[in-house]
Amino acid sequence: MTTLTRSSTSASTAPQSPRRVPRGRNRHPWWFLLPAFAFIIVFFALPVAANFVFPFTNWSTFHSDIRFVGFDSFADVLGDGSLANSLRTTLVYAVLVAIFSNVFGLALALLLERDTRVNRFGRAAFFLPVLMSALATGYVFQAILKADGALNSALALLAGQPVDIEWLGSMDWTIVVAALVHTWKWVGMNMLIFLAGLKNIPTDSLEAASIDGASRWQSLRLIKIPLLAPAFTFNIATGLLSTLNSFDVIQALTGGGPARSTEVLNIFIFRTFGSGLYAQSTAMSLVLFLVVVVLAIPVIGFLRGRERAMS
Amino acid sequence: MTPLFVAALFLTGCSDPSVEAAAEPASPADWPAVDTPLDGVELTLWTAESTASVPAGVAAAFEELTGATVNLTVVPDQYEANAKTKLATGAKPDLMFWETNVSVLNTIQAEENLQPLDGAPWFELLDADSQRLGVKDDVHYGAIIKSYEVMGVYYNLNNFEKAGITDVPHSWDELAAAAQKLKDAGVEAPFYEAAGDQWPVQWGAQMSLADLSADGFYGDLNTAQASFSDAAVVDRLTAFTDLYAEDGMANSNIKTATFADQGAALMSGEAGMEFHVNAIVDQLSQAYSLEEIDETVGFFPISPEGNNGTMSGGQANSLVAYRTGDETREAAARQFLTFWLTDYYPTFIEEMGYVSIQPAVASPAGIPQATLDSTPAGAAEKFGSTAVASMQMEAINNPDLYLNMAEVLQGAKTPQEAADATQAQFEQLARAAGVAGF
Repeated sequence: MTTLTRSSTSASTAPQSPRRVPRGRNRHPWWFLLPAFAFIIVFFALPVAANFVFPFTNWSTFHSDIRFVGFDSFADVLGDGSLANSLRTTLVYAVLVAIFSNVFGLALALLLERDTRVNRFGRAAFFLPVLMSALATGYVFQAILKADGALNSALALLAGQPVDIEWLGSMDWTIVVAALVHTWKWVGMNMLIFLAGLKNIPTDSLEAASIDGASRWQSLRLIKIPLLAPAFTFNIATGLLSTLNSFDVIQALTGGGPARSTEVLNIFIFRTFGSGLYAQSTAMSLVLFLVVVVLAIPVIGFLRGRERAMS
Repeated sequence: MTPLFVAALFLTGCSDPSVEAAAEPASPADWPAVDTPLDGVELTLWTAESTASVPAGVAAAFEELTGATVNLTVVPDQYEANAKTKLATGAKPDLMFWETNVSVLNTIQAEENLQPLDGAPWFELLDADSQRLGVKDDVHYGAIIKSYEVMGVYYNLNNFEKAGITDVPHSWDELAAAAQKLKDAGVEAPFYEAAGDQWPVQWGAQMSLADLSADGFYGDLNTAQASFSDAAVVDRLTAFTDLYAEDGMANSNIKTATFADQGAALMSGEAGMEFHVNAIVDQLSQAYSLEEIDETVGFFPISPEGNNGTMSGGQANSLVAYRTGDETREAAARQFLTFWLTDYYPTFIEEMGYVSIQPAVASPAGIPQATLDSTPAGAAEKFGSTAVASMQMEAINNPDLYLNMAEVLQGAKTPQEAADATQAQFEQLARAAGVAGF
């Protein structure tokens, strides 16, 4: 009896021991973190901090001294309409990519949901572009989409007459084409997130629905899509925010053309930096950073709210 | 910690890393003999993609002669932008291909960064035109390795014959008339322009300004006495884009066509005429024989009222030598340039098929006629051309005229809007450079 009491006492105190003697400290001395911190400071924190300093200087290729000049660079880049134009293009591009990648990602996930051999192959095939170089993707599609490229040749074969649609030559539609190419590159990732979400849906809910006589459309609309809310949050937020920072695909595909109609902000920044106006280009990238922050908070807040409402 | 570091960086004063090693203005340099031994000395030479193979032969010969090592680093296109970005990080070559017009020398702070090349042993060997190039404020910074050229019209000889055009046009109006004849003769694209690549558009635009350039427009621009937005400029730019305006006068894919398309179209006869520089013939030389090019491609310079060619030079025409702070390497760089432009020069132009710019050295055989005609001397002899300066040569900076004019051809801007945008950028760059009056 006594023994029993003792053992129960020792059992009740046992869970506290990790708090009294923090295991982590013994096993991982704090300085183990130093290399990682050094890496983060040098390659992330410093450049970000510098990006808050350089826009307020007169740094350019034309002279060697760097002086503080206040908000001159901002006045410069906001003065002509180019920045607003590029910002608008960037937003349109990001929204298009967010829509396309979620619609196509979900469609692919639903199509390839069941674990058959064909579906597993399909998933791998659609994921493959994610692993490709973004620049290579852009250049390959440039070759496919040019006036005498493969797409027009294929269409001509079907139509029985020459087709010379300028897929990359329209001031209005080329941005949509570019967004589709960007989506093609990344849709495999969205598909995987949706697949993971679908796998997490309890089968008993779906079985109960089918016993109650729900059609496939009803169980998709009323059960699967609401339960996929976290996957939507992740896909929309990462899609929208990473596309705001996109550069590679569109640079290789159109270089910002025709007539700057696909010139996203990063291409504009790149061009401004290349012309030697370093302060102005860092001012633009600070503007982009602020835009991303300003968009990220409400978008993620809204999607989180939606998740709670749906669950 | 990070904000503190950045604050410290700025409070202690900082400077552009690309000019850290800039020292006192150099005294007149000594010019080592070309065969001075240089064992263990390493030189770095930056090239563009288009000039990557140009120094291969001379570098190998120099290595063998002196024991030095010459590392060739290819900077990806857009060369000028990416090289400047590389320089901004503090990287510095011993030598690099660079356009040595004033506007472009300004972007790398020539007087602080570059070795003056005055008194170079090859200087007296150059022809008079080339002696005047690569100069800023009376100091030579550029080692000219290739002849400048004049912009002009490259045309398909067979199409001209088919259209019955026996004499080349002598004015902008005659140019338009020739295009009409080509159209009437069934040529698919009397003009073939490449607004997809954007940069080729600058040639036609600059040629349309040739008479203004001769009247000192760029000098006035530099002192804010003239502007791209002036009616005289806009009228000429409009006259240029009007050439393409009528249906069937220019290629149907003008908005997306590229430089590579232009070469193919000129050879196939799809194109009648193209505003260009000799880069177009260089491109064709990769794929066609000398005979094929000479049978197909002709050249003439053009200006609004005559045949005055607008001069053009780029990174392929010259090199600059950096002040690295390492005297051994600086001297080795001068020695390398001397070797290149004296002992090795005949072999070099033979290798590359370049027109000679040294009267004592004959040009090699096998140069296309259009290339010979498009040198300033060739154009003067054959067409009575008086070469005029381009924007790059005389303006203090280089706004994106080509980009704005490409937008006109793509229907996004009017010539007036393109001129205004060009002027706004010119002023922005002038302000950044601290030029008085802006």
